[in-house]
Amino acid sequence: MKRVLVWLVSTATAVVLLFGYRTSLSGPMTTATQPLAGSAGTSSGGANTVTGPAVDTRWGAVQVQITLDGGKITAVTVPRYPDGNRKDEQINARALPILVQETLQAQSADIDTVSGATVTSEGYVESLQAALDQAGR
Amino acid sequence: MTPEAGRRRPLDAGVRGVAIGLLWAGLALVTYWWAAGGGIGDLGGWESGLNSLGRLTGLLGSDLLLVQVLLMARLPVLERAFGQDRLIAVHRLTGFTSFNLVLAHLVLITWGYAAGDLTRFPSQLWELVIDYPAMLLALAGTACLVLTVVTSIRAARAKLRYESWHLLHLYGYLGVGLVLPHQLWTGQEFLTSTAATVYWWSLWAVALVAVLVWRLGLPLWRNARHRLRVTSVVPEDDDVVSVYLTGQDLGRMPALAGQFFGWRFLNRAGWTRANPYSLSAAPDGRSLRITVRGLGDGSTALREMRPGTPVLFEGPFGRLTDRARTRRKVALVGAGVGVAPLRALAEGLGYGPGEAVLLHRFARRPLFAAEFGALVRERGLHVVDLPGHRRSAGSWLGDGVPVDDLSALRHLVPDIAERDVYVCGPAPWAESVRRAASAAGVPADRVHVEEFRW
Repeated sequence: MKRVLVWLVSTATAVVLLFGYRTSLSGPMTTATQPLAGSAGTSSGGANTVTGPAVDTRWGAVQVQITLDGGKITAVTVPRYPDGNRKDEQINARALPILVQETLQAQSADIDTVSGATVTSEGYVESLQAALDQAGR
Repeated sequence: MTPEAGRRRPLDAGVRGVAIGLLWAGLALVTYWWAAGGGIGDLGGWESGLNSLGRLTGLLGSDLLLVQVLLMARLPVLERAFGQDRLIAVHRLTGFTSFNLVLAHLVLITWGYAAGDLTRFPSQLWELVIDYPAMLLALAGTACLVLTVVTSIRAARAKLRYESWHLLHLYGYLGVGLVLPHQLWTGQEFLTSTAATVYWWSLWAVALVAVLVWRLGLPLWRNARHRLRVTSVVPEDDDVVSVYLTGQDLGRMPALAGQFFGWRFLNRAGWTRANPYSLSAAPDGRSLRITVRGLGDGSTALREMRPGTPVLFEGPFGRLTDRARTRRKVALVGAGVGVAPLRALAEGLGYGPGEAVLLHRFARRPLFAAEFGALVRERGLHVVDLPGHRRSAGSWLGDGVPVDDLSALRHLVPDIAERDVYVCGPAPWAESVRRAASAAGVPADRVHVEEFRW
């Protein structure tokens, strides 16, 4: 009887703690059908958009488009990324927002690869660097 | 045979057919959606093949996981058509199968995400669990399933008390529940089409409702209605006691002679443990009686139980009843305390003189000797006592029987092939009776067996 209670309480505690973990109630990953985008601040009239080349990776092409306003990267979209199957969709749905965020923070292509999405990260950085070069930065 | 029982037989067979059809259709549908989503084409590549197989095993595994919850939800329609012992056997099979599929799913998907590279498997697994939606929950759910399955492997099960095993087994529900969110958020197979969404949510809803209504609600309601109490505890033999129970409105309890209940006696710490015991007298609308051999801890404690002790019950269960009967003539074959439900049947079944025969195996003394004597005199029951210890592990007879199992059965009950055979006793013994009956020409659907394990 006492043992049953101990088990019951420990189990309930464990379940509550499990649900406290950040992924447990996060909801689905946004498997974006739209190109992924991120932006920092509103872009004024002087903004121009530069599209990097589509870089072929093992799993498919990655292409980055950036919006520059007075030399500052204000927005990043990823019109093309590997989404041929559900696994790629999931991996990139997780990785791309991180890459976009890093780009906006670093304001350069000098960003870390996202673990578990090395291939996409490398393609992303290559396309981003080319876009920045093209913009003369 | 009552006319009612005759009508129910084809109905029960129909329900069995439909249930098996639905199970098959569900698995076929899930496989179809997998194939329609390019599952077969993906098998061409190494990495995509791993992912594709991982998806298929996951889908079939979760389908069967819900099916085996349904099988144990005490659905009246399934209980009546299959009988709980058969449901348990199917539950065991689907349970182990779904577990193996879930493990295969886990390995294949992780391996596939690691691009088919085994050296990356551990880091990939870590990442999946830490970063992907609800995957930590899924891992915890899998751990619950592992616990449930490992304790149910025969070797482990034999070492556990029934009561402990049963409580541990409830972790299965937690496991099934904890793996749901990752199916919605990471797998997203539920959402491939409207039909798939409807199918999966319906299956989940049916499983949940079935458990809430029939596993929890109905027993609570019946207990509130009948409020069973112990009236007396009577020793039958050295280690066998009969417990007499009474309650309110027992005439409306749908119990049949030959059925069993799960019992919880609220006399001491034992209320957490439900023990399955058969009725040993036909229910008369005023009282119930069970007869128990002191094997488990709970059984021993019954001896010291005071009159007035409240009792919780779950049931009735079992198909060792008039419902399964197809013939006028019956043979009841029981061993040890397994004769208890047969004692109820000998009282509750309708039969004329000579139409019912009881083969009663016991080691030293027969149980219910006086009561069977009365049934012999008043109802024309034919009783054959078969004393002695079992002569060998494969035989259903005691030592001192000069002929083989089949010849003995034919000699004792020459018209055995024309009878329904009701068997209750330890599992291996019951199996040897089944073999002898089958060899004597009794079709399988006329041998009705209730095994007991404790």
